[in-house]
Amino acid sequence: MISFLDRYQRPLRFALIIVGIGLLLLVLFGLPINVLQSSIRLATPFVLGSLAAIVASRAGVLNLAIEGMMLVGAFIAVAVLYKTGLDPLVGALAATFAGGVLGLVFAVLYLRIRINLIILALAVNLFISNATVFFMRTTFGAFGTLADPSIRGLPTLELPLISQIPFLGPLLSGYNAVVYISWLLVAVIWGVLFRTQFGRHLRAVGENKEAAESVGINITRVQVFALTFSGMLAGLAGSFLSIGVLSQFVENMTGGRGWIAITVSLFALEQPIPAFFTSLFFGLSEALSFYLQSRPEIQLPPDLLLALPQIATITALILVAFRVRAGELLKRRNFAAQFGRELDKLRQGQLAGD
Amino acid sequence: MTLLRRAVDGLSIPLLAILLGLAASSFFVILAGAQPIETYQRLFCEGFGPRGCETFGDLLITQVENEDGTTQTVFSPTYGAGGSRIALLLEQATPLILTALSAAVAFQAGMFSIGMDGQFLMGAITVAFLGYWIPDQIYLLAGVTDPEAAPQALLTLMHLFVPLLCLGAAMLAGAIYSWIPGYIKIKLNVNELISTIIFNAIAVQLMGYLVNFPLRSDLNNIARTRRIDDTAWLVPFNRGIFADIEWFSGARLGVGFLIALAAAVLIWFYLKRTTTGYEQRMTRGSLLFARFGGVPTTRAVLRAMLISGALSGLAGALVVLGVERRVVDGFAISGTGFEGVLVAILSKESIIGILLVAPFFAGLNLGATNLQFGNLPRQLGGIIISFIILFSAMEDFLRLRVASLWSKRLLLQRTPTVDREDGAAA
Amino acid sequence: MTSALEMQHIRKYFPSSRVLACDDVNLEVQKGEVHAIVGENGAGKTTLMSILYGLVIPDQGQILINSVPARIAHPHDAIRLGIGMVHQHFKLVPSFTIAENIMLGIEPNRAGFIDGGAEAENVRRLAESFGLPVNPDLRIRDVSVGMQQRVEILKILQRNAQILILDEPTAVLTPQEVRELLAVVRNLAKAGRTILFITHKLAEVKAVADNVTIMRRGQNVGTHATHGISIRDTANMMVGRVVTLQVEKTPAKPGEVILNAEHLLVAGSGGIPAVFGTSLEIHAGEILGIAGVSGNGQTELVEAIVGLRPVDQGTITFLGKDITHMTVRERREMGVAHIPEDRMVMGLNLKTNLDENVVVTSYHQQPYSKRGFLHLQPIRQLAKQIVDKFSVRSARVGEEIKTLSGGNLQKIVLGRELKGNPKLIIANQPTRGLDVGSIEFVHKTLIEERDKGAGVLLVSVELDEILALSDRIAVMFAGRVLAILDATEATEEKLGLLMAGSALETAESSGEKAHI
Repeated sequence: MISFLDRYQRPLRFALIIVGIGLLLLVLFGLPINVLQSSIRLATPFVLGSLAAIVASRAGVLNLAIEGMMLVGAFIAVAVLYKTGLDPLVGALAATFAGGVLGLVFAVLYLRIRINLIILALAVNLFISNATVFFMRTTFGAFGTLADPSIRGLPTLELPLISQIPFLGPLLSGYNAVVYISWLLVAVIWGVLFRTQFGRHLRAVGENKEAAESVGINITRVQVFALTFSGMLAGLAGSFLSIGVLSQFVENMTGGRGWIAITVSLFALEQPIPAFFTSLFFGLSEALSFYLQSRPEIQLPPDLLLALPQIATITALILVAFRVRAGELLKRRNFAAQFGRELDKLRQGQLAGD
Repeated sequence: MTLLRRAVDGLSIPLLAILLGLAASSFFVILAGAQPIETYQRLFCEGFGPRGCETFGDLLITQVENEDGTTQTVFSPTYGAGGSRIALLLEQATPLILTALSAAVAFQAGMFSIGMDGQFLMGAITVAFLGYWIPDQIYLLAGVTDPEAAPQALLTLMHLFVPLLCLGAAMLAGAIYSWIPGYIKIKLNVNELISTIIFNAIAVQLMGYLVNFPLRSDLNNIARTRRIDDTAWLVPFNRGIFADIEWFSGARLGVGFLIALAAAVLIWFYLKRTTTGYEQRMTRGSLLFARFGGVPTTRAVLRAMLISGALSGLAGALVVLGVERRVVDGFAISGTGFEGVLVAILSKESIIGILLVAPFFAGLNLGATNLQFGNLPRQLGGIIISFIILFSAMEDFLRLRVASLWSKRLLLQRTPTVDREDGAAA
Repeated sequence: MTSALEMQHIRKYFPSSRVLACDDVNLEVQKGEVHAIVGENGAGKTTLMSILYGLVIPDQGQILINSVPARIAHPHDAIRLGIGMVHQHFKLVPSFTIAENIMLGIEPNRAGFIDGGAEAENVRRLAESFGLPVNPDLRIRDVSVGMQQRVEILKILQRNAQILILDEPTAVLTPQEVRELLAVVRNLAKAGRTILFITHKLAEVKAVADNVTIMRRGQNVGTHATHGISIRDTANMMVGRVVTLQVEKTPAKPGEVILNAEHLLVAGSGGIPAVFGTSLEIHAGEILGIAGVSGNGQTELVEAIVGLRPVDQGTITFLGKDITHMTVRERREMGVAHIPEDRMVMGLNLKTNLDENVVVTSYHQQPYSKRGFLHLQPIRQLAKQIVDKFSVRSARVGEEIKTLSGGNLQKIVLGRELKGNPKLIIANQPTRGLDVGSIEFVHKTLIEERDKGAGVLLVSVELDEILALSDRIAVMFAGRVLAILDATEATEEKLGLLMAGSALETAESSGEKAHI
């Protein structure tokens, strides 16, 4: 899959540039700065989620349980903070840990017991979405929403110096720790994947298992690690949803963001940095829908706006595939035309020779 | 293999999976501070039990409609109180059977489509609109101002044709909504799992928009569509022909169930006994093989996607026409489509399996919903189902373990048939 | 002189496929020796080597490296002991560069960070020291098969392998590349490396090996010095009886032209042409063989003729009708039969039963179906007919066919394809992976069909098979037919040169390589 995607990088890069231009245009048309800020903030779960998808699929396993892993993170972060007065960062850590545990369990079930990957993912997602609500009701006695004054959200951190930069300052600063961590992780994961020995081994496992095995790389260990790490990233992403924005847990609050994160990673050809920018686009469309809801004079139904990311994803998937197919057809047609000319020449030559 | 052997073989793993699933879930029951055995006993009583076995059956929630068009939630003894629990279970199993058939047809064409939810919603919203719009148009054409006063002959005629039209339209809507992911898979190789998930999400948002804006009927605090016309209503048995039979009285079981059964038979026949079904099964087995043999594979897969979508659309339509009679905001979270996928997986896409598993799931959910009144969340049902799916997917692992438990001796006795072929290294 | 390697009493049984792959095998190899291991497909060569390399754990037996008992449970252990293996299917990562592939697992790094410059330099130096030049920065997916094999050899040399296992290294190479490889192998042996050379091509054994071990049905049936044993004797030991290298057949009585392909341009995967202006004619009652190293457009040509691949330019005429753009079904109904290269995936659907497999080409016709409804009785009868006529063993009605052996599966394919007397039979590698008995059966069947008046297009990478069966022989190279020879004038040498891309005139004077 990766090699296939790898080969068609250019059309995708093109699409990303279009998105970038679109973003710029929006800025130029003067969206309030706070919409841009919240776009960047709301992109965080997609950034972390798509990194989770990338790490797993670069190691050759499609992690289709990101949705469930995010939900676990969201729940655990709140559960840990409930009436304990702990620092919110502890909640984020616990969420990361819980996601990692789920990733590890997923890895064992898939790699050792060899459950069909898709069925396993569906079962895990179903289990988590039920189990979180189950515990919310039995342990915390809460219905629908689990909130408590004791649950504090992650505090906003102003970055020194950077926040002073005119215009860019407010865009680059003024978020909570998980946002900054997610940016850092984009760079770190890129570096690990493409510059370190471990990253190369991981990519080798994902692209050609036998090649990796034949040089003594322990495939299972790499894949278990990748899935565990993927789960940790997804758990962290979930914690952002629950304590990074609202400091509460809502039933099934991931609302399909895990699946969007997977499509982000596909769209970005499993490259961390393009995935970051694609995530920004999804953050923007979410921020826009909140913004427009707060502006009743703009008559735009929020449901349709919430569908925007989905429609964008499917359009992107189709466009990418279409470009690939069209490129192939074009190549064939060119060869055929060229071949026809050569054939004609040959025939004329034969006639002349006679 | 004899029929009995096959039945035992086919049933042993699902039954084992169910037992293991219950055992694993009991951990959660204990965590919640309840007794597993007692809880399961109650769960099954509530879900499948005969009259009198259940404890909380009389406390089911219903939405009661006031005269001014608002609704209120009441713990009412009217719904689910009388009649058989089985009738209720079959009512709930009806759409599940159809979405499971839908999933099975798609799977058996090699498409891992899980877009049943989206297609279900498309079917539902289509009939929620057409269910009053078509009769409106007919009344307009016939110059009837007050439907109450319409001529009986017209009403009878409408009773026959309006539901049929609605069902047809819903099937079409579902089919189209399923065809798109199929088409982009075949033509452009866009992963159908991802695309159907996205299509489901789009359908949810579209549904929310339609119910909240263009189709919103009144100022009820939860947005909803207008109630469908009486002529479009598929009258449940307890309100219609079997009004006097107590067995039916508690459930809105209706003609939809018969339609689902008929669909099951037809789909079985389609898959096993028609050339078109053969075509899609061969395509699933190996695309190259099918193309090699001259099977029109593209057509076979797209046909399967159309049929699959139509079945899910039909499921949505039957819920609206036969049970709910309108779509309320939040209808989208029913998850009937997704549960259909799970039913299809657990029954290994076998039609008989679906007819067994769908009511089982419906009963589990029903039982779990009623457990709520015994302070155990209904999510226990979902937990049990996810464990059952998980364990049944461990089939090979289980077979190995079970086999090694009771037939170690047998395995050792079997002398190696020496083919002396190089089976290695691969 | 100590032996570099000893394998004693190796036994391996695969319970899942019920195959005893190695049965008390002993093997001893001296240091600096090129030791060939020959045997038919399925004789256990690959399993034995997989055991040596730690990919398969034997049930019994022990391995001594330099006379010291060694425990090899994982390729790790093998590498540590100085054993390297070049697999039949290369184990390379396509998107990685040559240097990245060679250094995979042993990257020069500082605290985990790879030093890319040192890596490329390392590879360059290594390549020079063994006289195997490569460009370390090229990506594997962009280089030729021969180059990929070179990378594999360098990969194991970089790991300081003293014992090199080459598993059927020549199967994918042109004769010229083979010659180069054999020279490399001799050089490595001279430099003191021990080489295990697995093959079933006996001429290569003669050319390169010091000793040869012959395996048959999981057993070592003898180790001999190559100068002391003839090719014919080796062949007889491989199959356990006297082989008839010649297939019994009468001269062909070719009729009129039934298939005429003109200037075909067919795209391979990715849109790049795989068949480039190929023209050929097939007569009724003859076998036209297509020789060539695999991957030179044969499969694409076959798929274009049967309708599985679109034709971008050129025409195909069959029985006087233009079939260039017809569907597979239309062509089949006109009398085209196809025995595909891969019977497991294309020829059969292993996940279903015999009945549904035999009817795939005709399910839409009467009596097998009427108005869209299948009629099961006639289908079952058809299956029975095929089982009886082709003596398919152990095929049980109604059960999945995945448990059948390769020979029996191929018989099912033959039975289905030859039913209804096809006029044109396209056979692509019809005997690949079959045992000797089945091969004979397939050959006999094809000749019978020819004698009944069908035209046969036989594609094979086995020159012996082409020479034994064909009446005329076309040689394909790089998507073109370089020459069509009469079987009587074709020799192995001539074909070999053509397969490497030489023009016919040069091949006939067997001079230097011509440019194409």
